[in-house]
Amino acid sequence: MPPGGTNALTLTRRAIVGTTLAAGAAALLWPYTPRDRANVPKGRVELQYWEKWTGIEGLALRRVVDRFNRSQDRIWVHVVPVSDITSKAMVAIGGGDPPDIVGLFSYSVPGYAEARAVMPLDEFASRTPTLRAGSSTSGTPTLRGGSSAPGTPTLRGGSSTGSLDPSLYLPGIRDLLFHEGRQWAGVNTCYTLAMYYNRAMFREIHHDPDSPPRTISELNTLAARLDRPSPDGSGLLERAGFLQNVPGWWNYFWPCMFGGSLYDESTNRATIASPGCIAAFDWLRETAARVGVRAATAFASGYGRNIHSAQDPFISGHMGMIVQGPWLANFIRAVRPDLDYAAAPVPVADALYDPAHPTPPTGLLEADILMIPRGCPHPEEAFEFLLFMQRIDVQEELALAHCKPSPFLRSSPGFLDNHPNRAIRAFDAVAKSPNVQVLPRTTAWKQYADLINKAFDEVWVGADPTTVLTRVQTRGQQLIDAATLRRNQRRGGVP
Amino acid sequence: MSAARRQWAHGLLWISPWIIGTLVFLLIPVGLSAYYALTDYSLIEKPVYIGLDNFREVASDALFWKAIKNTTVYTLGCVVFGSIVSVLIAVLLEQRLRGSGLVRAIVFLPTLIPIVSASIGWLWLYNGQYGLFNTLLRTIGLPTRDWLDDATLAMPSLIVMGLWVVGSAVVICTAALREVPVSLYEAADLDGMGPLTRFRHITLPMISPAILFNAIMAVIWGLQVFAVPIVMTPKDGPGNATLVYSVYVFRNAFEYGRMGYASALAWIQFLLAIAITGLAIWAARRFVHYRGS
Repeated sequence: MPPGGTNALTLTRRAIVGTTLAAGAAALLWPYTPRDRANVPKGRVELQYWEKWTGIEGLALRRVVDRFNRSQDRIWVHVVPVSDITSKAMVAIGGGDPPDIVGLFSYSVPGYAEARAVMPLDEFASRTPTLRAGSSTSGTPTLRGGSSAPGTPTLRGGSSTGSLDPSLYLPGIRDLLFHEGRQWAGVNTCYTLAMYYNRAMFREIHHDPDSPPRTISELNTLAARLDRPSPDGSGLLERAGFLQNVPGWWNYFWPCMFGGSLYDESTNRATIASPGCIAAFDWLRETAARVGVRAATAFASGYGRNIHSAQDPFISGHMGMIVQGPWLANFIRAVRPDLDYAAAPVPVADALYDPAHPTPPTGLLEADILMIPRGCPHPEEAFEFLLFMQRIDVQEELALAHCKPSPFLRSSPGFLDNHPNRAIRAFDAVAKSPNVQVLPRTTAWKQYADLINKAFDEVWVGADPTTVLTRVQTRGQQLIDAATLRRNQRRGGVP
Repeated sequence: MSAARRQWAHGLLWISPWIIGTLVFLLIPVGLSAYYALTDYSLIEKPVYIGLDNFREVASDALFWKAIKNTTVYTLGCVVFGSIVSVLIAVLLEQRLRGSGLVRAIVFLPTLIPIVSASIGWLWLYNGQYGLFNTLLRTIGLPTRDWLDDATLAMPSLIVMGLWVVGSAVVICTAALREVPVSLYEAADLDGMGPLTRFRHITLPMISPAILFNAIMAVIWGLQVFAVPIVMTPKDGPGNATLVYSVYVFRNAFEYGRMGYASALAWIQFLLAIAITGLAIWAARRFVHYRGS
């Protein structure tokens, strides 16, 4: 290098800094396209669809979405799996950057509807008199007057599929999708809860494996016979007949087995301290006392993180009976297909059961739903996709893959016969039962549910159900009243 | 442009990412949260001004007081036990023992493990049926416990788990111990001081600034604790035994759709943290010895 000069190959500090900055800027500004979005055919409107499902359930959804993408040449749906979707959807919608379509839970409907954060589906009817006539998606939806919900125009397909006709849904599903007389969501599979039982264990205690318990007394007796203490003398359970704290996800479910309900929608009152609910919580306390709080709690915590795995207490043969959703059958198929099990509607309080005139089964019906956030980039296209998802064949394809019942009143021939869930008839019977209940449709539900969860904890360790539930009812009513007051204030005092 | 102005402009340019970042991601959100605290806001609706109603509601909210109590217990536990354990380990590691270097690395190692992974590992240790702690208790013939499912044990269990990350505090105490002048110990030896007296009258005062620093960090960490309780007790423990303040703020904001109320709670948390830290610094003037002061 000549003295005092710089060689052409010498790197100066300015050159290094400049190059680094330029490289950084280029990396930031590079028109990067994620790999799964690079395949979007040109000219298509791309929809962002947020959904919570992963694994087997997510794959089934992708197959359906792929079918939609192939079925026409105008729209391309991109599925984005999102965990903790309720919080993230709320943030995205509130932040003004929502996806085109979002898959939430049915209990989300009242909150989103009252906030007008999603679009009522009849809004599309008034905007588009004839929806996509001639579109390549089969079951072209058109407008139809008359509705099961007063004042709500009905959208119906030209065929029996691709319809938004509320009369096609199960009555409980209709209740879940509607709020204040308008439809805010489309269904995206539904579920009920039923009692799975291990037939081999029933045989082991010389009980007919085709006779699941029908009353609480029968359930208690069977459970006690199936309990098996730990051989090490620790007082713990090696096997549990039945425990209400496993998996511990539906602490608000038990009252329906006693004819109780959590909420009276007609009067907007919390009713957790009603006789049926108190009887249910009394039963919880009795179970914990019979088994031993310590043993029951240790059993539940021992399996707390293993639900739906090979170590699941029911799948691994450590529980004789469990109340679970239809999807459990999918996990059994995956990890222990040889398990000899069946499922039946949950038993009811002895006073409610008349062997001469058995009443239709009781239970809880919930649904996964699809909503179109207000402010999304492509609402019309999102609605077209939503209509596709409401087709009976599409919902049945998903239901089969998820091991769930159909959300429609009438299912296709062979749907139940060819269903991969061998216990599907139990779940289907509950879904279609006039006694089925849905969760309280109030924006205060999540807080109310958390109060009930804590009431369960207290009663489980021996607290008096009447005292606890009366307190929960009072607090729950305050929350419901506060939510109602806030809603009315926002509407200028109009209830 | 004069050279001085040009220099000023260059300076601003180079620190502009920090200024913009602070403005966009800190100051504006802080300002907005102060406004939202005075509104009824659910994130998916426009905020409606309601004055101080959210703060009034706090006073009668039983869960707020439960969360305050739990957070205070957790913070106190972490500060007291964390300080004692960190000082003791640091003093032990300063002894001329074989393998102390390895032990020092082992003590520090847990701080490198993501807290969520560590929490899941501890869940297994605390497992009522198959956990290591209960297995040990059974082996020695003692009754087993529901560590996380017993209302009286759940919070102490979380505090013990919090001691898992005491490594950073140990490092700070170790550095402070090495700064203690050897001449003081020599003088103490000449005066015939025993090891305990020497520890109490020389070591502790000399490392007290480090202990104070660790305590303040533990207070701030304890008041904001979120990941450990939400991973280890997702339902807030039996009877809300482990419902801590940050989790309650989170639930209001993102599960109950009450961002306005959550903002009010967050401001109360912020003011409490400032007050407690200020109190600790003020109280420490009596107990903390700064060399040269």
